[in-house]
Amino acid sequence: MINIDIGATAVAILTLFGIYSLMAISLNLEYGVAGVPNFGQALFVSIGAYTAGVTYTRILPLLAGVESVHPCGPTMGQALQLRSEVMAAQPIAGFINLALTFLIAAVIAGAVGFAVSYVTLRLKEEWFLALVLLVGGETARIVVRGADDLICSHNGISGIAQPFYFLGDARSSSILFMLLALALALIAYFYSQRLLHSPFGRMLKGLRENEAVTRGLGKGISLARAQIMLIGSAIAAVGGVLFALNTGFVNTNDYVVTLTLDIWVMVVLGGIGNNRGALLGAALIALLDRFTQVGAIALNMSGSPIEFNYLRFIAFGLILLLMLRYRPGGLLPESPLTTNAHDVLRRASGSQPMSKRA
Amino acid sequence: MPLLELKNTRKDFGGLRAVDDVSLQVPEGAIIGLIGPNGSGKSTLINLIAGSQELTAGRVIFAGEDISDLAPDAVYNSGIARGYQEPSLYFKMTVLDNVLLPVKGQRGEKPWYAPRWRSWQREEAAQAERAINVLEQVQLLQHYDSLAADLSGGQMKLLEIARALMGQPKLLLLDEPTAGVAPKLAYEIFQQIARLRADYGITFLIVEHRLEILFDFVDYVYVMHLGNLLAQGAPADIVEDTRLREVYFGE
Repeated sequence: MINIDIGATAVAILTLFGIYSLMAISLNLEYGVAGVPNFGQALFVSIGAYTAGVTYTRILPLLAGVESVHPCGPTMGQALQLRSEVMAAQPIAGFINLALTFLIAAVIAGAVGFAVSYVTLRLKEEWFLALVLLVGGETARIVVRGADDLICSHNGISGIAQPFYFLGDARSSSILFMLLALALALIAYFYSQRLLHSPFGRMLKGLRENEAVTRGLGKGISLARAQIMLIGSAIAAVGGVLFALNTGFVNTNDYVVTLTLDIWVMVVLGGIGNNRGALLGAALIALLDRFTQVGAIALNMSGSPIEFNYLRFIAFGLILLLMLRYRPGGLLPESPLTTNAHDVLRRASGSQPMSKRA
Repeated sequence: MPLLELKNTRKDFGGLRAVDDVSLQVPEGAIIGLIGPNGSGKSTLINLIAGSQELTAGRVIFAGEDISDLAPDAVYNSGIARGYQEPSLYFKMTVLDNVLLPVKGQRGEKPWYAPRWRSWQREEAAQAERAINVLEQVQLLQHYDSLAADLSGGQMKLLEIARALMGQPKLLLLDEPTAGVAPKLAYEIFQQIARLRADYGITFLIVEHRLEILFDFVDYVYVMHLGNLLAQGAPADIVEDTRLREVYFGE
């Protein structure tokens, strides 16, 4: 049997929950609220991860004032050791580097998300954009894997230490990292809630419900959709940075199409268009992830010939199909949108709000 | 100078000429009827004016400006709102959100301001006051926080008109505003239209099949047949016109 450290497992699951929440909120804004089917979520997450791979090997040594060594090739091991030493001894350099990583990743992902969607949506409808992003994500991955210098091609870059590594104690540093992930997810949640219950959110929902009519009511639809893609992509990239820090490793193999599928399952399962649903979906998938991992190890150790990792994909596919068939709104379906205008009318007309009437 | 003028407009769909060399004028403050049998090109003409279909030839002049090449959102922002033949409300939104969405130039629609509620809440409240007036006008105020999907067919048509009004249009294009509505309610919808012209000075161009109601309210009628303008005149003259009977009843 395998022993499970319940505390460490809880920390790991909660960290994953925070990271997945960022990705799910991002897709929920794009697809759930605005109806832009982003089949390239892995692309925007990977932009965050690749950025971390580059900043931790190029900018971190500069910030720490040590001479940098080329991260790939024969000096790979030396560079890795250098990174670890800096992260252990110079927390300030580590934090500044992390802040820069978030910033650069969000800017690049946001710019890519905006530019690709604006150009594509002006030419074709949104499902064409879905294909462009799907292909774009895979193309970017293959290009990065083929580039020798960026993140050392197929070798990837290891030793991307999380920012609290300097504490030395694995337990407290991983708890702090969990809190960082949860805090960022919380900020993203409140930000997206405010966005959703604003005239901007109303316009995006209008676009989702009836594009032609919304256009006929004076709204520039390509720009609005490109704007939400900018915001969503930036949030996904922040999630990607955390994802890389959490595994401590940047490798192109982690950002294949199945990552996009995972995020779609979270949103469809939790509730399309509802940010709380996105959080619920992220929580369920984080749990499922961990259990299938533990299950796979347990099965392996018992000598079972079944490759449990494939069962995970089968389970996700089944969840998608069953949800779309029996509960297309998700576990927490979206509620009708209200901005503060409803309160104004409520006071003026003295009538009961809808929620209290039923 | 007419508020809206169509000059020799034409629309081809492949080999089919849906609108053929149609010229018409809509004077400011008028209610103009556009009638004709199914497939005569009336809805296409509305789409051409609203910018949702591109002209093959001809010009559309609105308030002295050439709007022939504008996209639908630009046409709306120039002062032309439209209704649709098929249901076109935001059914998953409340009545109030349906009428607030089309308000022009909302600050809270910009992603930079949107999450900062204080930056747009006062503006939104002011628009809500306007919405009260408009919803009161069409007797939908008590339903302001119902979902649009829960309204009756007649109320949906009225909400569509109310929604169009929030953009303060000069011209309202309506494509069969009484389609699928009981006869008594249909008459009330036209009474509303007459009242809106009186109160707000809005000009109307209305496609309608219920001629018996339409003729009570319009100032002037254009008759289309197979993409062409067949006849035009005051309702009393059009009723007498034998060509109308020919195209409608084949007599």
